[in-house]
Amino acid sequence: MRISHPSTLAEAEALIATGAQAVVGGTGHQFRWSQGQIRPDHLVNIGSLLPNGINDLTIGAGTSLEDIRHAGLPLLSRACGDVGAPNIRRLATLGGNIGFGAGCLIPALLALDAQLGTTLGPRPLRDHLRDPKGLILSVTLRPLARSIWRKVGLRAAFSPAMIVSTGTFSTEDTRITDLRLSVGGGAVLPQRLSEVETWLMGQVLTQVDPADLEARIIATVNAPSCAFRTASYRKRVAAKAISHGLLGQSPKTHSSKTLRPSPTPPPALTAVSRQDGGERWHTRPDMPRKTRGALPYLTDARAPGMLVGRILRAAYPHANIRHIDTRRAEALPGVHAVITHRDITGFNGFGIVFQDQPALCADKVRYSGDPVAAVAAIDAQVAEAALALIEVDYAPLPVATDPEMALMPSATRVHDNGNLVSEITHAKGDLTEGWAKAVHVIEDTYVTPRQMHGFMETEGGWAAPDGPQNDGILVCAGGQHGARDRLQLSRILDMPKEKIRVISSPTGGAFGGKDELTVQPVLALLARKSGRAVRLHLSRAESVQAGTKRNPMRIRMKTGCDATGRLVAQEVDVISDCGAYASLSPGVLETAMEHAAGPYVIENIQTRGRLAYTNNGTCGAFRGFGANQMSYAIECQMDRLAAKAGLDPIKIRRLNMRVPGSPGYLGQRVAPSERLLEMLDAASSSPLWNARETNPDEIIGTGMALNYQGNGLGTLPEDEAEFALRLKGGKIEALCGLDEMGQGLIASLHAETSTRLGVARDDIRTVYGDTGTAPDSGSTTASRGGYVVWRGIKETAPAFETELLSQAGAKLGLPPAELRLVPGGIGARGANTPTPLLRFDAMADSATFTTQFSFPKSDYTKGNARFIFAFAATLARVAVNRVSGQVRTLDLEMHTAAGPVIDMASYLGQMEGGLIQGLGFTLTEDVLMQNGRPVTTNFDSYMMPTLRDVPNTMRITALEELDPGDPHGPRGAGELGIGAVTPAIANAVFDAIGRWPVVTPFAPESLLDVIASSESEARS
Amino acid sequence: MIGFTLNGQAAEIAPDESLLSALREQLGQTGTKQACDIGRCGACTVLLDGHAINACLLMGWQVAGKAVTTIEALETLAEGRALVRAMEEENGFQCGYCAPGVMMSLVGLFTHTPDATDEMIRTALEGNLCRCTGYHSILRGAFRARALIKDRI
Repeated sequence: MRISHPSTLAEAEALIATGAQAVVGGTGHQFRWSQGQIRPDHLVNIGSLLPNGINDLTIGAGTSLEDIRHAGLPLLSRACGDVGAPNIRRLATLGGNIGFGAGCLIPALLALDAQLGTTLGPRPLRDHLRDPKGLILSVTLRPLARSIWRKVGLRAAFSPAMIVSTGTFSTEDTRITDLRLSVGGGAVLPQRLSEVETWLMGQVLTQVDPADLEARIIATVNAPSCAFRTASYRKRVAAKAISHGLLGQSPKTHSSKTLRPSPTPPPALTAVSRQDGGERWHTRPDMPRKTRGALPYLTDARAPGMLVGRILRAAYPHANIRHIDTRRAEALPGVHAVITHRDITGFNGFGIVFQDQPALCADKVRYSGDPVAAVAAIDAQVAEAALALIEVDYAPLPVATDPEMALMPSATRVHDNGNLVSEITHAKGDLTEGWAKAVHVIEDTYVTPRQMHGFMETEGGWAAPDGPQNDGILVCAGGQHGARDRLQLSRILDMPKEKIRVISSPTGGAFGGKDELTVQPVLALLARKSGRAVRLHLSRAESVQAGTKRNPMRIRMKTGCDATGRLVAQEVDVISDCGAYASLSPGVLETAMEHAAGPYVIENIQTRGRLAYTNNGTCGAFRGFGANQMSYAIECQMDRLAAKAGLDPIKIRRLNMRVPGSPGYLGQRVAPSERLLEMLDAASSSPLWNARETNPDEIIGTGMALNYQGNGLGTLPEDEAEFALRLKGGKIEALCGLDEMGQGLIASLHAETSTRLGVARDDIRTVYGDTGTAPDSGSTTASRGGYVVWRGIKETAPAFETELLSQAGAKLGLPPAELRLVPGGIGARGANTPTPLLRFDAMADSATFTTQFSFPKSDYTKGNARFIFAFAATLARVAVNRVSGQVRTLDLEMHTAAGPVIDMASYLGQMEGGLIQGLGFTLTEDVLMQNGRPVTTNFDSYMMPTLRDVPNTMRITALEELDPGDPHGPRGAGELGIGAVTPAIANAVFDAIGRWPVVTPFAPESLLDVIASSESEARS
Repeated sequence: MIGFTLNGQAAEIAPDESLLSALREQLGQTGTKQACDIGRCGACTVLLDGHAINACLLMGWQVAGKAVTTIEALETLAEGRALVRAMEEENGFQCGYCAPGVMMSLVGLFTHTPDATDEMIRTALEGNLCRCTGYHSILRGAFRARALIKDRI
């Protein structure tokens, strides 16, 4: 691309006349390129030629939006604050924004009746929008006394606009004397609402009928539908926004819909925070490097001669492959290896549960992210050029897009053996008898989203030939179970496991999305074929297309209780979208079904869950693993039945709660230390039940839900762990083959080892995430990591300590019984000051003390059942917006009972982070699919919560005590945070507006419908 | 090639290459992270003449003759040192992949506005996505940094 820097505007215009494109800050161009537009050959930088600065109401076209935001200009400064984010606004300019011809500022400028200074002389903005010509040099605003501004997007900030509604007006007394109204933003073309303006002109504000005004705005606004929001929604929002902005919103009286519980005092809870933690709060050992950007991730590896890999993805969501021709790619200079299925000497399949996913597709592609070929070349440009030279001949097939339809006999088959991946049923009691006793029945279908893990570090890493003869392979890619990655690679490569070393830590977030193999097979195959080190890091766009997602579920649940609120019957029918390959989706469904009754006793129950292959991407493990989806349904059902039976949310739960010591849902033996009642007590006493002031546009509500989360992999899968301790090089090494994904494995190892042995955190060194150096401790999933760390140290510490004391005793000439471990080394038992008599760094390396154990299992083997559960109560206070239908979460509170907290900072992080990931699931996140292709392409069309979307307060407590004699230690913390935030928010929305949203993410339009119908009921 | 200053040293970039790609692929500076390439996550935030901007949105011609500061030079700034200490104390991050971008957005704020209000801190971070923390730990770190800067610790 050529970039010219003309020295005069005339020169610039001459270049533009030849087809070059003008550029100032370039953010508009970048946006278009990110949407797939071809980059121009020639850009003309006009930034330095444009006036920059603000003089009264005239703004130089080269002025940045961030400067305008701070300038205190009427309407426009506020509007600029809603465009992009500050780091982008520093680059984006007003002239560029107008030149771009779309965006949030144009309607504001229309309302300000902006006049442009251009190279062709002064022109009104309106004329320029109709017929853009000349270069914009300046913008002069003509504000009126008051203004209206409302941008409604897909989340609270940094969002594409669904519609911007704006205006300026002046009044004398309360009569409208001048007025300009406009809409625009995103897909909505900028539009002045002239008919509405004419109607309003001269009217007295207090005498305008809001309903009449809103109807006129709806009739006037032109707005399209898109994948995210309907035209009707956009028009209604514009109508409400302008009506509220012009006429104000009279405060409406609001009464809570949910009965308030009577507080029952909870037991003493540990406040989990730095402030309250005192001595228990430590800086995590990984924090110093992370805060400095000094931690090398596996995708940061760079070395001379290292090749760059790229993957060719399927061109269709479902197609037969007739032929793959790589000859032209292989002939391209700089290309070192091109691989296809023909290069796979072993078994071309992987999958944690069963191996239905090809490493490289041979005869068929089943989703648009399926890999067909890959290239290793000297750099990214050559690799990408080579991909373009690979010819694949496809025969497209019909696409399975709906999991229910996919199970019809006539449906296209994603795999030869049909689309039903698994079906799980369970029945107990007598449903007929149960329904006969039912006085109140609630039946509904709860729908959950195709949530994306959204780890900030996308899938990637590097691989290289390894071993003394270079006949092995080293694969370094973020993962969640290196030993299993190695096993799967060994099948694909037809290489003994011993010759494969997998390094899977550190990784920049995983949340289940790196549990299955990602780029490892391609990396290994490329490194083996090229004989060189190869790196590969998926772009976000590729990660969105190819990566696993959460299984979308439709959960039909029918629950009945008797007149007193006691549950008598429940039927559950679940259909889960597997996507193209199984991965852990069967386990997710199984876990969902295991949580079908939540923590409640229901004598008569019948459940069925089905998992169906489709061509909708591919799904698998995601934090919560089916349990959070099921909790959404059951915890809403509880509140709905409570409302019918006239009970408060605490009372109905107390009435139906499991009794500690009783068998689990499947009749299995479960671990002691149940804390559900204590969690209910804590929830009952929450300050969030009290009223809170808010602005008149919002309706407030509070809700709660219980968390009940099984830990570990369950009865059926192998769930083993190895762990070791040793003294090496003066440090106590904790060897644990789990992965550090950000959750705090390293901190937990330091904390638990130092606490158990009585040494300092600094005395510990951790060895993890590497099959070459650490033992196989199982997967870093299923909330099992905390337990593995605790148990591993508990089992190895005594013998390790004995050896150290004996070695020290010999050196010091003292009986070991008179010695103990102290911070820094070995000290005298009974001494007040723990000063080491012998420092660890003066001691010889010890033997390695290894243990191997199974994660505790239940006795139930007819299906998969958990033995250990963790408990919590989640409360949410929300505000539902009358204008946009959007839900703002004001406060979250979580009381947790997951046993002793190993490391307070890590524990707090798991709860807060899980809550917000769940908030995204509930309110904004979904990968939309159309005909088997994702509508979502990147973070511009996938709305993870920003800092503006999170509540003002998050309060976390822990109830740490276990029952006397409970041998099982800490419970899992990783999945509690996300476990029940969805039903807590849904129940809070009911409290606000009187209806439970049953589709996640909640559709603002349907909430507006509810508000509208209750307002019209109130009027009549 | 275009000349610019990278953390005080002379450096070069092709006029049509993104600064992010140049940093990570040509100049070996992998502290700046790549996570969306389209300005929608903030992981690649750097300072351009002292102001926080997404490196993925900057092309070579836009940095000509300017000073680029990346996370690798964070601690050459007094505010950067305070931020590091505060984030360590508060355990601001989890996986840490968003950290370089968050730290650069904040240091850009604090070097110009050491007494930034809570609202200004929130605004400065609007363009930085974090998937692990839920942001509160980052905010606690930012508030703590402001206190450290105020007390010249």
